[in-house]
Amino acid sequence: MTARSLILLILLATGLLLDPRPTGATGNQNFQFFAPPAEGTLPNGPLGRLIRQGELIFIHTGQYAPRYVGNDLTCESCHLDRGIKPYSAPLWGAYGTYPRYRSKNHQVNTLEERIQGCFRFSLNGTPPPVGSKTMKALIAYSFWVSRGAPVGLYLKGQGIVRMSKPARPPDPLRGKAIFEARCSLCHGLDGQGTQSDNDQVAFPPVWGPHSYTKGAGFYKVSKLAGFVKMNMPLSKGETLSDQQAWDVAAYVDSQPRPEDPRKAKGGKS
Amino acid sequence: MVVSRSGSGVFSPLALAGILLGTFVALFPSRARGADTEAALIAWGHTIAMQGNGLPGNTACAECHRINGGGMPSVGIPRIAGQTETYIYREIRGVQEGTRYSPYMDGIVQNLSRHDIRAVALYYSTVRTPKLPDPASYDPALRELGRRIAHRGLWDRNIPACILCHGQDGRGIPPNFPYIAGQSTTYLMGQLISFAVVRRKDDPEGLMRGIASKLTHREIKAVAQYFASLDPPVYGKISEKNRPDRLRLIPEKEIPTP
Repeated sequence: MTARSLILLILLATGLLLDPRPTGATGNQNFQFFAPPAEGTLPNGPLGRLIRQGELIFIHTGQYAPRYVGNDLTCESCHLDRGIKPYSAPLWGAYGTYPRYRSKNHQVNTLEERIQGCFRFSLNGTPPPVGSKTMKALIAYSFWVSRGAPVGLYLKGQGIVRMSKPARPPDPLRGKAIFEARCSLCHGLDGQGTQSDNDQVAFPPVWGPHSYTKGAGFYKVSKLAGFVKMNMPLSKGETLSDQQAWDVAAYVDSQPRPEDPRKAKGGKS
Repeated sequence: MVVSRSGSGVFSPLALAGILLGTFVALFPSRARGADTEAALIAWGHTIAMQGNGLPGNTACAECHRINGGGMPSVGIPRIAGQTETYIYREIRGVQEGTRYSPYMDGIVQNLSRHDIRAVALYYSTVRTPKLPDPASYDPALRELGRRIAHRGLWDRNIPACILCHGQDGRGIPPNFPYIAGQSTTYLMGQLISFAVVRRKDDPEGLMRGIASKLTHREIKAVAQYFASLDPPVYGKISEKNRPDRLRLIPEKEIPTP
């Protein structure tokens, strides 16, 4: 074995040992993440227009896909930076990992089916049909921001951080104090969000009739805790301790919200 | 000066009490009057804005912020017209407490009572004034960069788009997030730098300190001139949903709700 290949092997080994848990990483190491195509490189023509349409739906979901949305949230409420930010379930981390078996419905789901789940459970709305313009546009946009990402591999920053069990069981009461101190500036003491001066949703409601349902991924305390840990308060990710993230997630998910549409009787299907 | 009308000796306890009471009433008339109507509060705010409250050091706000609160773009004195009462109140309190760095305003606001601050904040929140010309240089090469930071942010460095908190086109998300559209380049750059070096530290959650410290000087210039090029909102209206009692107010929760 040559010295060169030995060095290579050591480098590889350290690379494998490092990571995979991102907590503790500083905000400025994002060169490690997959980078979507640069702005301004969008192709002209029908595909480019469809991608752009998908981007608009992604940001202003209620405005561009009103018939499919039942609450005040948008895609970007959870998938920050237009579905690009690492650890907020970026599109480039999802695109290449479907079709996938999901324990949620015990089936192999396509990306379209997964997106339909977002509309049904998180947006409390109606899933856009696979052939609809809305779905095509969202798929086109997902494809675009994933251009160059490997298919079928785990990418750093994909999905939501998996939180290890907290030292103490998550406590909604402790979470309430944290929420009021650090989240209510934008989300309100009552969690109902904030409006802009032209009465559009500025900061989304995090519980109540206009927020995600009990069927949404964020209704799992661990998922919400992982999102909060890495992304909240906005631009100040990783400033809450793991325990605080768990507690505040437990508090938010202990509040009233629409029933899981699979269980709701007489509600939207 | 208040003169005691008591007929007894000048230094009798009763006369002294009279003098003290008289002085108090003269200096804090509105407090003695009890609860104000909004109109009376605005009128008192207008007086402070135009002449100060009469206490040492307190000069008219209009000296620098100009008669209609349009500010002085040339030297970076901000527009305050139409900014919300809550925000103006918070900032004056911040200057008093030293959390908002302002060498000019520092001495001027020390003798404002909380009631005075509330009055003057309410007054300026109701003032409408057009945007004044900004003599700062505009660098066309930075146009796109400024636009991008404003609308997309630089998320690879955890810098969110400005409009997420400062509202569409920088119109603000009242009451906690002020409008920044139509402020002067000099003012906006000054505040970003002030946040970056932590001379201004009244920002909730340290949000602006965190963001500003990650911006380069070139980016600061780009984003400042971008928002300076926009028109300010006519009216800093607080939408019904954003009632101050629903949101945590910074730095302290002390504005009496009417």
